[in-house]
Amino acid sequence: MRYSPTLVDHFLNPRNAGLMRDADGSGSDEYAGCGDLTRFYLKMRAGCLAEARFQAYGCGPTIAAASVATELVAGRAVEDLLVLKAQEIEDALDGLPEDRKHAAEVAAGAMRAAALDALRRRPGNREA
Amino acid sequence: MNRRVYLDHNASTPVHPEVVAEMLPYFSDVYGNPSSVHGFGRDARAAVDAARDRVAAFLRVRPEELVFTSGGTESDNFGVKGLALARGSGHVITSRVEHHAVLRSAQALEAQGFTVTYLPVDQYGMVDPDDVRRALRPDTIAISIMHANSEVGTIQPVRAIGALARDAGVPFHVDAVQTFGKVEVDVHAMNIDALSFSSHKIYGPKGIAGLYIRRGTKMVSIQHGGEHERRRRAGTENVPGIVGLGKAVEIRARDMKAEAERVSALRDRMWEGIRARVPDVRLNGHPTERLPGTANVCYRNVESESIVLGLDLKGIAVSAGSACTAGSVEPSHVLVAMGVPLDWAMGAVRSSLGRSTTTEDVDFVVASVTEVVSRIRQAMPVGAA
Repeated sequence: MRYSPTLVDHFLNPRNAGLMRDADGSGSDEYAGCGDLTRFYLKMRAGCLAEARFQAYGCGPTIAAASVATELVAGRAVEDLLVLKAQEIEDALDGLPEDRKHAAEVAAGAMRAAALDALRRRPGNREA
Repeated sequence: MNRRVYLDHNASTPVHPEVVAEMLPYFSDVYGNPSSVHGFGRDARAAVDAARDRVAAFLRVRPEELVFTSGGTESDNFGVKGLALARGSGHVITSRVEHHAVLRSAQALEAQGFTVTYLPVDQYGMVDPDDVRRALRPDTIAISIMHANSEVGTIQPVRAIGALARDAGVPFHVDAVQTFGKVEVDVHAMNIDALSFSSHKIYGPKGIAGLYIRRGTKMVSIQHGGEHERRRRAGTENVPGIVGLGKAVEIRARDMKAEAERVSALRDRMWEGIRARVPDVRLNGHPTERLPGTANVCYRNVESESIVLGLDLKGIAVSAGSACTAGSVEPSHVLVAMGVPLDWAMGAVRSSLGRSTTTEDVDFVVASVTEVVSRIRQAMPVGAA
């Protein structure tokens, strides 16, 4: 198996999969090369992540990266999510093959977009 | 993982035990070079001749009309380039759904100044013989159309195309790698002048295949060296491989018809099972003119590779209809040519059944596919979530 046991576990048992209707922020990212798409929905409490859910279209690593990201960032401040790096997600999956690095990049990009959305929609911030 | 189910017989097959047994002496006992004049060489030559006779009898052609090659890809290269290059210049007709061995050979000819028409196909992946007729030009020098498509299983109307080719006096090459030993191939009724066939798709060894060249057909070699294969394909013969191919063909002659009926029924059972349990699926390929064991199914809005991974983790081997390489997904050129929309084409999974496939295997696959696709769709941004 070219994928780590952690990746396989997240693919077989995705954590926090599915739509969240009353999210405080949502964002997605797409990998142009292959059309892989990841979307996160965030529920914030006191500026920190209370709950994250994901939807993903793509190969096994893309689904697993989105799943592991929802656990990885639990409880983090929204500002920290704005700078989430793909490497951190890849590390949480115990590595990705060279030709599947985009799975972590898409997940990280989607999480940053969702965090930015949450920040804009934060009460008192009228930018949104 | 206990149960293992192999549904990728269009990619390769396990070598039949009787074939292995027949091959074994030719590795260490009869190891001479068939070109050598001594007894060791003569023994090897006798084995090659006997195998050639077996294949010729199966195809109902003369033994000297067969050239052994290293694989289907070489046979296709030889068939397409050999016919074209023998005529120096001109126009070649092929289709958009050919194997890459044919398509890229045609592209190589274009780079050398030949012109090539890539015929379209209908929604079932079938070439219209009328399109062949319309594509024919005074300078057309070769036609190459596959017998059956490896991805979707559609069987082309090669008999009608062969008749057109014969009327026009244009040599006709057929890539029969997926049909040889599986369904009837009649080079006479189909007016085929060159026919590619392979061993490892029919329970023979890898690394051995062949090209039938009708007597009198002008061809040039694409591999040069010694005087082997009547100076048409240089290189010491793969004696164990040739012996294995001969035995595999003999077994196919015996088992082909019964197996075709059996795997067709299993294939239908599988598709009916999937269709009844999984929403948003479609079967690709022609409903009746198709390979017995091939089922290419699209799961809408699911990426095929995730299904292949999910099934692999259950011990089931199928193949993805789209290939993701280095982060770039290419939908199958066959499905694109058939006009399958992208949201379907990206979720194409091919199962190809074979002699070892059982009813229990098929039922296990149906249950597994149902579970895997349902799970992936739960995490999907669109579709059946």
